[in-house]
Amino acid sequence: MSESLAVADHIEPAGADWLFRIGGAIVALVLFLAAFGPTLAPYNPTLTTPEVSSPPPALADLPRLILTAIVSKNTAPVHWFGTDASGLDIFSRVISAPRIDLTIALVANGLSLLLGISIGLLCGYFRNLGTEIIMRVSDVLQSFPVFISAMILVALGGRSIGNIVIALAALYTPIYIRLTRAEVMGQKVRGYVEAARAIGNGEAMIAIKHVLPNSLTPALIQSSVTVGFAILLTAGLSFVGAGVQPPTPEWGLMISTGANQIVLGEWWPSVFPGIAISITVFGFAVLGNALERRYAAG
Amino acid sequence: MPPADAPLLLEVKGLKVGYPVQRRMVTPIDGLDLTIREREVVGLLGDAGSGKSTAALAMLGLVRPPGRILAGEVRFLGQDLLKLSPEGLRALRGKDLALIVQNPRGALHPMLPVGRQISNAYRAHGAASSKEGWQRAIDLLRNVGINDPERRVHSYAHELSGGMAQRALISMALSSTPRLLIADEPTSGLDVTIQAQFLDEMAATVRGTGSAILLVTQDLGIIANYCDRVVVLHEGRIVESAATREFFIKPQHAYSRQVLSLVRAPATPAKFAADIAPLIEVRDLVKHFSIKGRDKKVQAVDGVSFAIRPGESLGLVGESGSGKTTVGRCLLRLVEPTSGDIRYRGQSIASIKPAELRRFRSKLQIVFQDPYDALNPRYTMEDVIREPLDLHTDLDAIGKRRRIGELLDLVGLDPKRMGEKPRGLGAGALQRLNIARALATGPEFIVLDEPTSVLSPLARVGFIELLARLKKDLGLAYLFISHDLTTVQHVCDRVAVMYLGQIVEVGTTEQVFKRPAHPYAQALLGAHLTADPMHRRVDRPPVNALAGEIPSPIDLPPGCYLASRCRHVTEACRVTPQTLAMHAEGRPVRCMRVLAGEVPIGGSP
Amino acid sequence: MLLRTILRRLAVGVVQLLGLTVAVFFLIRLMPADPVSRFVGINPSKAAYAQAAKAIGVDRPISTQLLHYLGLAPSQGKGLLQGNLGTSWVSNAPVLKDIATALPVTLELITMAFIIALIIAVPIGMLAALRPGGKTDKAVFVYGLFAGSQPEFWWALLFVFVFYFKLGIAPPPLGLINPMNSPPPPRTGFYTIDSLLAGDLTTFFDLLHHLMLPVATLVFILSGPIIKMVRQNMEQALTADFVLYARAAGMPGSTVARYALRAAMAPSMTLIGILYGFMLGGAVLVESVFSLPGIGQYAVRSILAFDYPAIQGVVLVITAISLVVYLLLDLLHAIIDPRLAQE
Repeated sequence: MSESLAVADHIEPAGADWLFRIGGAIVALVLFLAAFGPTLAPYNPTLTTPEVSSPPPALADLPRLILTAIVSKNTAPVHWFGTDASGLDIFSRVISAPRIDLTIALVANGLSLLLGISIGLLCGYFRNLGTEIIMRVSDVLQSFPVFISAMILVALGGRSIGNIVIALAALYTPIYIRLTRAEVMGQKVRGYVEAARAIGNGEAMIAIKHVLPNSLTPALIQSSVTVGFAILLTAGLSFVGAGVQPPTPEWGLMISTGANQIVLGEWWPSVFPGIAISITVFGFAVLGNALERRYAAG
Repeated sequence: MPPADAPLLLEVKGLKVGYPVQRRMVTPIDGLDLTIREREVVGLLGDAGSGKSTAALAMLGLVRPPGRILAGEVRFLGQDLLKLSPEGLRALRGKDLALIVQNPRGALHPMLPVGRQISNAYRAHGAASSKEGWQRAIDLLRNVGINDPERRVHSYAHELSGGMAQRALISMALSSTPRLLIADEPTSGLDVTIQAQFLDEMAATVRGTGSAILLVTQDLGIIANYCDRVVVLHEGRIVESAATREFFIKPQHAYSRQVLSLVRAPATPAKFAADIAPLIEVRDLVKHFSIKGRDKKVQAVDGVSFAIRPGESLGLVGESGSGKTTVGRCLLRLVEPTSGDIRYRGQSIASIKPAELRRFRSKLQIVFQDPYDALNPRYTMEDVIREPLDLHTDLDAIGKRRRIGELLDLVGLDPKRMGEKPRGLGAGALQRLNIARALATGPEFIVLDEPTSVLSPLARVGFIELLARLKKDLGLAYLFISHDLTTVQHVCDRVAVMYLGQIVEVGTTEQVFKRPAHPYAQALLGAHLTADPMHRRVDRPPVNALAGEIPSPIDLPPGCYLASRCRHVTEACRVTPQTLAMHAEGRPVRCMRVLAGEVPIGGSP
Repeated sequence: MLLRTILRRLAVGVVQLLGLTVAVFFLIRLMPADPVSRFVGINPSKAAYAQAAKAIGVDRPISTQLLHYLGLAPSQGKGLLQGNLGTSWVSNAPVLKDIATALPVTLELITMAFIIALIIAVPIGMLAALRPGGKTDKAVFVYGLFAGSQPEFWWALLFVFVFYFKLGIAPPPLGLINPMNSPPPPRTGFYTIDSLLAGDLTTFFDLLHHLMLPVATLVFILSGPIIKMVRQNMEQALTADFVLYARAAGMPGSTVARYALRAAMAPSMTLIGILYGFMLGGAVLVESVFSLPGIGQYAVRSILAFDYPAIQGVVLVITAISLVVYLLLDLLHAIIDPRLAQE
């Protein structure tokens, strides 16, 4: 066979669509838990129970336990994921955590997106001394090591959810400024902008009506990635003790609490919240990738 | 021309090439049959999207990923390329079967010196040391007329001009005296003078080596002047094959007849009384661009004056870098002129405030080169045309909708589809939409900035007809900026020729095309490939060619700007700045020797 | 030309670092945190509090403190401009010395991880690009998406559980070397190099043993984006016109492959630089899990203790290294791609 006939299909890996659906489902599930998780939790996620460090039920016992849980309402709920060293129910905490983690990630991302796009449009469309200075400041901000800066802002500002949101928003804004500005600069030399000028639009009008809507895509794609990273960062801050305060149900904090036990073989306090983070950020990554591919395809 | 019984070199039968698009196979080439005899120059003519380039590549057994050859055979020198082993195929490619492509700079590796690449191509077909290969690269570049090849071998693709990169490619392609050269639109994107120069050299070289050429193009001028035979590709098949002269006299297929309609029916320019007040008057227009980080300036436009009467169309021609596009932009103040006056119906608009200027926007409009780029990708056709109506009229919603429908109808688009986004349309239809937007507010004057340059031959014919109709029905005046001389000839009443920011000659279209006076105009028109197979360029020696390359607009010579390239240059030319003055024939020319009658006028057939 | 670019970049970098220093200086002092309270215990007397504040110098106006820190107040001794990063409020040692001890550990860790990740990821990414849509490609696509964003500290814990607790092939996550072994005599500060210089192979292998899991964790995380990038760049290069043309010119497969590879590697440089810079600060979590005394651990300790001079020092040093790495890789990029050298 000649080599030209051997050139294989060049389409995206066939699994891509299937993956995209999984990503969507994961994100939907996490959003659902953020809304209803604490209500559905069998135990109060911040109150200790008498059973300390009890392991999750064995796999073999699961069918029987599920059956019992459905049939009888009177017995105490099962600790599906076990309890940690202070007796907190891990299952309840894992499904309650999205409300904290996702709120932080979404609000921080929304704030920085809004700020970044506005400043990016301004700095990309109107180039003058003022906007150049804004860009230099933004450059300096972007050269901060992200994780360490977040630690500084939260540890020194006070370990509250509000401060974590502000810290993340401050760190992510320069990314959006840069992305939007670059796209604006590319768009403003396009023919349709000149055409808009030729038919008599003013500059501000062109910037808002023509350039802005065509410059949003990179920032919107990035925002899916950023939400995932914000969840990771929030968890990481808790893990080193510079995040939310215990006993807030937060995945990173839970992993941190279980970290000392893991060398002793008590795996469940850390493993379950870890799986939750792992799957969640994967879901956002897949979603972001799907958006990116759609954008690249035009 | 080779005899009709010359041995067959290439024979393609039932070729089918497919690309997977959303899990389906699309077949741009579907059952192509083609033969080429030895020493024959065959022109492959086809519209945009007809599969020309795909076909050209497939002759080498190549397909752009993710496509593949689905069926057929490509017999070259008796063996089927599609059944050869990869090694056997490789041995033929670049040796007996060579390719040059459009976008020559993209075909060169951006990170390797050209010399290395030519040397690699040479060494792919024979044992040679890298030193020999390098020496060979220098010789080859010299052969294709590149100055200072010892220095040029070290250049990278981005340091070469398009014309030079194309010459480097052809030197690579001809290094092994191939039996067949496949040239896929080798001159698209090059200026006319460079194009003619390149094609002349290619034709001459190939005549020396005895190679056959398959010349893929959509330019009738190239076909008429260089090809022995024409094959027409339409919807993936060859629909017509004829000797070039017969083709131009008696085209068989409907597509051929349509693209030839302009050639067969030249336009008749309008006549104007001399005393009509001008609609647009430009005087001493100057535009300098400052260069960042240096105190030098680019003189894009250097004292341009002209006038356009109501209903008249003035053509502005010249090569890239001549400043013609900047003139168009300055006229509408999309670029602020450095100095000079622009008058619309006697009223100066050169220095009024932007807010005041907006009132004139409804009367003075522009259509841009790239029809796709000029449309907001988020807008539907309705949105596009509604915008000027919103800005300049106080029609109510129903009135606007009716007007939008009328405008679409006027330019030949279907008003029923106004709610659709225009992205699926071809370039021709997009350009019609751009015209409709420009017409929305009832302008009297439109700047047409290379409006046909990205259109396919068929779309171009339709678009030119539309321009002529609009001009007649609406009494529009145009400033038609173009390097496409064939189109200018059909659209314009008068023509101004620009070189390095200055107008060097103005005259009626007939004057300039039949009897160009200025040496630059003579060279430009001399390089124009008229679609006339009876007076082929290959059959006569080239005339009036210019030497060297266009000088940088940053460091302009003190005297005549053409002095370094002109055949008629004298010492006085080099030091005397030239002025545009009235020639005895009643038209302005910027050359003291022509004005003094020392240089013969004309020279173009 | 190239030299001018380097000098300009360095000059811009110095200005950027100064700006950053000043910004961080004000930022941490404008925070509501009270560093003095960390040193005086609960409910101190007014006098004790004032004395502690005086001891660490926060009783003076911020502008004075800044001038002192920068070294613009000669009477106060050396500052940043003289190469002095101040004294840690916690360890009482010069910050520069603390960082000089901690930094090599981190550099050692991430450099090793980078080399291994590149060795693994580059061929896999290329393989995937050669057969788009094939099995490798699909697997690589999913892996790239997955490993690109994962909680590395959790994976580190998981590795500890499996390889230390369950299988017993890894040491406990308690530092760089077995507490029974003495560290090699410091010469370069890099433990691996120092132990080799001292000819102490026992310590050297013990080090590798201890670095096994932290490096594996980072490799796992890093190879995701690297594979994804290599695959993408290679795929783009393979469909480029010049590769098609090289084939049309009948060049041998090896030459065509070299053409594509060269084009694919050049743009990868920038991303590798960014990843390296990111990892400098991002290794904190892995260091934390394995109790490695690196710069990240030092940062965490300083931040939680409100040790301002140490915080300033860490931010400054990490940013400076990132800038140098970016510069080096951009230079490398410019050498491979002459189009960039021209700008």
